[in-house]
Amino acid sequence: MSADLRFAKTHEWVRPEAGGAATVGISSYAVSALTDLVFMQLPAVGKRVKAGESLGEIESVKAVSDIYAPISGEIVEVNVTLPGSLETLGKDPYGAGWIVRIKPDDPAELAGLLDQPAYDALVASQPH
Amino acid sequence: MFTAWWDEPADGPTNMAADEALAAEAERRGGLLMRLYGWSTTTISLGAFQKIDDARLVGDIRGRPLVRRPSGGGAIVHGSDLTYAAAVPKSHPWGATPQVLYDALHAAMAEALAERGVDARPYPTSDRAADESLFFCFDRRSPGDLVVFQGADRGVDWAAAGVTTAGSKVMGSAQRRLAGVVLQHGSLLLDGNAAVTGSARHPAIRELFAATRLTTPTELAHAWLQRIAAALQVKLQAEESPFVRGREAEVAEFAHRFREDRWTARR
Repeated sequence: MSADLRFAKTHEWVRPEAGGAATVGISSYAVSALTDLVFMQLPAVGKRVKAGESLGEIESVKAVSDIYAPISGEIVEVNVTLPGSLETLGKDPYGAGWIVRIKPDDPAELAGLLDQPAYDALVASQPH
Repeated sequence: MFTAWWDEPADGPTNMAADEALAAEAERRGGLLMRLYGWSTTTISLGAFQKIDDARLVGDIRGRPLVRRPSGGGAIVHGSDLTYAAAVPKSHPWGATPQVLYDALHAAMAEALAERGVDARPYPTSDRAADESLFFCFDRRSPGDLVVFQGADRGVDWAAAGVTTAGSKVMGSAQRRLAGVVLQHGSLLLDGNAAVTGSARHPAIRELFAATRLTTPTELAHAWLQRIAAALQVKLQAEESPFVRGREAEVAEFAHRFREDRWTARR
C-alpha cells in the first residue's frame, strides 16, 4: 500500500496521480465486510460528484452498499472491467480493483481525509 | 433502548419512504429501531439491483403495483406477509457487517416460531450464481434464511450435500448500507397470499404447519421483538402510535422518489 493513500470514513481510498487526477477505490476492510459480491453499478465518465455523494452501488448477497465520493470533482475515468470481475476488488483493492478516477475541484480537499494510521485506528474501533 | 412501531397498511412508495425516515431516525438516536407494517394492496417489491424487464416477464404478477426497495435481494409479493424494517447505526455492534444483524433478527424469529410449534431453521449455505437467476426472494437461499424442512428432509445436512434450494423458505431479509446507518428489510411468510398464483405463490407458515400455535401476527411480532430486546440486553419500547404519525411531511417527501419511474425502472 502506498503512503500517499487517503481514506474517507465511509471506507473509500484516494490516491493522487501525477496528472492531477485522483484514483478512488474501496478499502480491503470494506471489501471483506461485504462477502460474496454480486453486482456493481458505476457512474458515467463526465459525471460531477460532490464529496459524500453516492457515485455507485455494490451488491453483495445480502446488502446493497453505496460507494461515496471522497472528494468533489469530475469523473474522468471508470474501471469498466470491474463489474465483470468483482473478485478483483478482493484480490487487489488498492491496485487493479480501483473504481474511478476523479479530477478534483479542489486538490486541497484531500488533506481533510484520513491518513493510513488514522484510518487503521478507525477500522480498529469498528464493532466486530 | 430498542424502539418498535406498528404501522397501518400503506402503499409501496409510502412504506419505502417511511423506512427511509426510520433509517434517518436511527442515525439520529443511535440505537436499533424497527417498524412492522402491512400493505394496502398486494404489491411486489423489487430488490435494488433487479431489472424491471425481468418483473414484466413474470405473468403471475402482471398488473400488480411494483415498488423498488433500496435494499438488495429478490422480489417479494407483499400482502399476507409480516413485513419489517430495522435500522441501526453502523457504529452499533449489530451494524458493522451484514450477517450480524441478519442472523440476530432471524435467530430471534426462529425462537419465537419454535415456541409456537413452527420449526424453521437458518439455511446453512448458498449458491450465488443460482440465486442471481431466481426472480423471487423466496426461491433463493442464502445463509441465515429461515427455511422449513419437512419429513425426511429434516435430517439431511444440506450444506454437506451441496444442495442450495431445499426446503420452504419462510423468512428472508436484505440490507441497504448507507454512510452511517444500515436499513434491513425483511418478510415472514405467515399466510398464503390468495391474490397470486403460480410462480408468485410460495408455501406460507400456516399452510406448512396446520397445527401451529400461531395466533395473530401482532402476538408473534411482539414475542419476536421481546426476544430481540433480550438478545440486545435492552428494554423494548413498543410505541402505541404509528411511526409515520407526526412524520407525514417527511414521509410524503421521500415517497415522491419511490413513485417515480426514474427510480422504479432505473434498471
